[in-house]
Amino acid sequence: MSRITGGVIDRGTTLSFHFDGKRYQGHPGDTLASALLANGVRLIGRSFKYHRPRGVFSSGAEEPNALVRLGSGARAEPNSRATVVELFDGLVATSQTHVGSLRRDALALNDLLAPFLPAGFYYKTFMWPKAFWESVYEPAIRRAAGLGRLSGEPDPDRYGRGFLHCEVLVIGGGAAGLAAALTAARAGARVVLADDDFRLGGRLLSESHDLDGVPAVEWVARAEAEFASLPNLRVLRRTTVFGAYDHGVYGAVERVSDHQPEPGDGMRQTLWRITAKRTVLAAGATERHIPFADNDRPGIMLAGAMRSFVNRWAATPQRTPADPVAIFTNNDDGHRTAQDLLARGVPVAGVVDTRDDAVAQGEYRVIAGATVTGTRGRLGLRAIKVTQAGRSEWVDCAALGVSGGWNPNVHLTCHHRGRPVWDAALLAFVPGSDNPPGLLAAGACAGRGSTRAALADGARMAAAALAEIGIAADPCELPEAEDSASPPQPFWYVPGTRRAWVDFQNDVTVKDIALAHQENMRPVEHLKRWTTLGMATDQGKTSNVTALAIMADLTGRTIPDTGTTVFRPPYAPVSLGVLGGGDQGENFRPRRLTPTHHWAKAQGAVFVEAGAWMRAQYFPQSGEAHWQQSVEREARAVRSAVGLCDVTTLGKIDVQGTDAGAFLDRLYCNAMASLKVGRVRYGLMLREDGFAYDDGTCARLAVDHYVVTTTTANAGLVYRNLEFARQCLWPEFDVQLVSVTDAWAQIAVAGPNSRALLERVVDGLDLSNAAFPFMACAGVTVCGGLRARLFRISFSGELAYEIAVPARYGHALMARLMDCGQDLGVTPYGTETLGVLRIEKGHPAGAEINGQTSAAMLGLGRMVSPAKDAIGAVMSRREGLAAETRRLIGLVPVDPAARLVAGAHLFPNGARQSLESGEGWITSACFSPQLGSRIGLGFLERGEDRLGDIIVAANPLEGESVPVRAVSLPFVDPTGERLRA
Amino acid sequence: MLIPHPLLGPRDAQEFTYLGDARLLARPDGMAEGAEAAFYDYVYLRNNPAGVHRELWFHEHGDRSWLVVTRDTLTHDILGAELATDVVRRERPR
Amino acid sequence: MPDLAPLSALGAETPGSIHTGRLVLREISDIALATLALRNGGTAPMPFGLVLPGPLGWNPGNLAGAFWIAPGQWMISADGRAHTDFACDLKSAAPDCAVTEQTDGWAVFEIVSPEGAAPIGNLLERIVNLDPRILNAGAATRTHMAHMSVFLVRPADDRLTILGMRSAAASLWHALLEAVRGISAHG
Repeated sequence: MSRITGGVIDRGTTLSFHFDGKRYQGHPGDTLASALLANGVRLIGRSFKYHRPRGVFSSGAEEPNALVRLGSGARAEPNSRATVVELFDGLVATSQTHVGSLRRDALALNDLLAPFLPAGFYYKTFMWPKAFWESVYEPAIRRAAGLGRLSGEPDPDRYGRGFLHCEVLVIGGGAAGLAAALTAARAGARVVLADDDFRLGGRLLSESHDLDGVPAVEWVARAEAEFASLPNLRVLRRTTVFGAYDHGVYGAVERVSDHQPEPGDGMRQTLWRITAKRTVLAAGATERHIPFADNDRPGIMLAGAMRSFVNRWAATPQRTPADPVAIFTNNDDGHRTAQDLLARGVPVAGVVDTRDDAVAQGEYRVIAGATVTGTRGRLGLRAIKVTQAGRSEWVDCAALGVSGGWNPNVHLTCHHRGRPVWDAALLAFVPGSDNPPGLLAAGACAGRGSTRAALADGARMAAAALAEIGIAADPCELPEAEDSASPPQPFWYVPGTRRAWVDFQNDVTVKDIALAHQENMRPVEHLKRWTTLGMATDQGKTSNVTALAIMADLTGRTIPDTGTTVFRPPYAPVSLGVLGGGDQGENFRPRRLTPTHHWAKAQGAVFVEAGAWMRAQYFPQSGEAHWQQSVEREARAVRSAVGLCDVTTLGKIDVQGTDAGAFLDRLYCNAMASLKVGRVRYGLMLREDGFAYDDGTCARLAVDHYVVTTTTANAGLVYRNLEFARQCLWPEFDVQLVSVTDAWAQIAVAGPNSRALLERVVDGLDLSNAAFPFMACAGVTVCGGLRARLFRISFSGELAYEIAVPARYGHALMARLMDCGQDLGVTPYGTETLGVLRIEKGHPAGAEINGQTSAAMLGLGRMVSPAKDAIGAVMSRREGLAAETRRLIGLVPVDPAARLVAGAHLFPNGARQSLESGEGWITSACFSPQLGSRIGLGFLERGEDRLGDIIVAANPLEGESVPVRAVSLPFVDPTGERLRA
Repeated sequence: MLIPHPLLGPRDAQEFTYLGDARLLARPDGMAEGAEAAFYDYVYLRNNPAGVHRELWFHEHGDRSWLVVTRDTLTHDILGAELATDVVRRERPR
Repeated sequence: MPDLAPLSALGAETPGSIHTGRLVLREISDIALATLALRNGGTAPMPFGLVLPGPLGWNPGNLAGAFWIAPGQWMISADGRAHTDFACDLKSAAPDCAVTEQTDGWAVFEIVSPEGAAPIGNLLERIVNLDPRILNAGAATRTHMAHMSVFLVRPADDRLTILGMRSAAASLWHALLEAVRGISAHG
């Protein structure tokens, strides 16, 4: 056991957890990493490539080594960083990246093969034979490589989302962040303080020095108490701000219940979009290490992390309390760890300091001007080799803290292509002058990292941010704090022949960087891709700058000349579940239901998605084994009796105003102003480039009142285009537009018995041909006084109507029509039958008006009026479109049993089938119950002149070639007798 | 992104639908001499500047106004937003 | 009166209602709605004595209420009159304007917080990306919510009315319940 006294943990409560099947105990306030160390567990995983034994290396988000699989079953979360996993009772974690047991990983063989597996090895070795890459090499490499595995099961959890708006967003709850939040919140601004950790304080929790003479933890508690009294301050704990986006928008993930065994009924995580007028980035700094031979053994960790474990978590990386601990440093910060270890009674074997003039700052041995040049201990550190002035000695120790200086966490300052700049005094990259607009960096992330400097900087930056938005603020009063600043010596790595790891997560060593240099992969971008340095979950937080320095050393250039590392979102890994928002299944996206949806469901309808709408596709009846049978029955009912179909989904736009007619003349290629009141006309809309894009009917209810219908798919687009025309092209017109799609339930009543059926529900209106002819419309009442609109229009080619009632009555009207039409053979039909009927009638739909076809191709060329200006009219007459000779025609297979498929290409009979000989394609095809054959619609070169010709419909995907005859449209009722019956 | 709506204040860009170059406001007269050439330019020729750009945004999940937004395409700075109707009435008096 | 029985937007004979977390969510099915739009260059009328508000404004009125939805366009509402031809009445009261019936175009949900303003604020931040200062009591606006377009009306600090496409009523209801669940998760 390696638990010592002190720490910010609740020793009064004991939590038990499992790691690799073994039970351990910890306390509230522990992370998984601190609890494992406190239990003497040092071996936590295996490395990515060489399967080297690895332990905890850091105490925060930067952790490259201690990745575990958290939880089990569908909730298993691979690659969880043990250093940021908050301990809870019942936590289950499993090590990953090994075959067999963690201690005896079969793939550790890779480590023996290491001389053969340098950077770029895969690229070079598995080149030949070429075909082997996909079939042999890659699958084998993939099995061996990689970090954790996904559960492969659907995510059982819910995720929330939310939106926050504030004057000041403070990112980070350490010294600078707390001072910034206090300053801004006291000034009355709305403040959001987001902190990655489950406990505010940042490094203050990890250090042993006082603030104003009281332990820092107490000062933090006082600040927190004040926060609770400020209603304008919102504190988000366990919240990672992962990205800076345009105009002060930040993305953040709050881990709402990841620290509980199960989220239960609640949300696992919440995605916050935070819109801030100003942002104070107080993200702190990350310590860097110094690569030396065999520096990756469990027990070797960052010196600052070791101090965190000791001070905050009362845990040490020793095996037993008697084990000595050593420090390797190039700066004073490493000595601070030694002092704190001694203060807690941990034996210090010595501090190896690269600086010649280093002196002890406490009761410990200092080996000045020395380096660590080797280590021992297969599954955990046992000794280090210290070299001083050419002489080496082995020093026994169970743990080694390494300190190579601190890198400011500039990540978010780079998210708008900002480039950090090199600070030669600090020996670190600090934020440049091109931060995201409105973002001010404060404290350690700006290179001002002593406690005193960080506190002052946070307060100052908050006041500056507020001043920019016109809020007066005084920097908050600050406590007395330590102010030691000790830049490191520019000592970046210990040269040697054995492997010295730079990037632990990707198993990239100093040698690999040298190899990259040798292969001329010197720019940092090439270095990264050649070696994989800086990839995966830690994104090189502990390795990028060190690697850059090594490359600079090899090239003999300065670090800023060698390159800069910049960062993109996300700062830390974000689960896709929370980005997706969590809604699954039928709630994956909004669904629109028709007014008769529940009725259709009760009839056993099968539904199909049409955009956001759910529409009844067909209504199977008992005895029908295949949808084709249902569709044939429904289609026959419409042609012989009467059918009902909910057509509410068609877009409806109310167009009013004294210029409504003139306006619609500009929108449709054909005339609408000349339409008489009480009549309906088919209309075709073109895009301005001359191609057709939507069609529908337009009804004139009054002199200054039209109702336009659109296709289901284009309802939103047509409305937007109408508003564009009204506001941007012809604002002088008196026109008012309102979308009324949802307000009216519209039901198609189609078939020879439709008039008889409607006469039973419409109140006192003469529906005879003379009184209410084809293409008439009227406001009527139905079922004893319900206001309704009746249109005599037909998509099926039969005598047909569409009747619209307020949506709440759609369900009841459908049921009523079914009730009172039994003797007339009334039958509900769905979109599948709708399609069959319209193909039989030769009406174009989405497959024909697909954005690549002109009015002329559709056989509607004469609708484009030359007498008026209309959108698309001019361009529809341009040379390229005027020369287009493909025309919409009907197609019938010569052999009635042959199959026709939409998408088949048309070729001259007997011609070689090639791109050049193609003459068109089939757009829609179905079986026609009326004709007893499959039929199709298609575009054919000079189609109107070739009626009766035999051509070939080829479907090369399935090797089919079917002779078909071109025929005139429509297939059914060419003279329109049924329509006008 | 935030679009500063002239009537409603800053609004999240997700409320809007983007169209493009505000030159689309200057639609040629389809009945005029040389209309085909004018429409060819109107439909197919667009400025795509690296820098300040006037563009059309539709407040689809809002008041259904078309706006002319002046945006720097290099920095995403928004330099102004007006109702398109106002722009048309000012720039194309009839 | 027609001899047909209406269904609520949620598809039931009676409007939906649920008390969840700290909020009461209720479907309102008897409110009449119609849009009123000025003719080009027209001046705002005062239908039923109602002063038509400016952008973001809502006026509860006496016989009918109004909120601004677009330049020169308002949504006029009248409680309890869904079964009448309200658009026709409004047209009589504002004959020089374009009036369009909207009663059945919208699912209307009222959310009441028995514990005051805070729970409404918590809900708003989980459903819409709006600065809450825009939607103080007496304000109304249209915005984006869970991939849908909605009108929000804030009659008072402790209540909120949401109008969404009638066809998407079930999805909107689901989104509201999920948001309430998100609040509860935070205790």
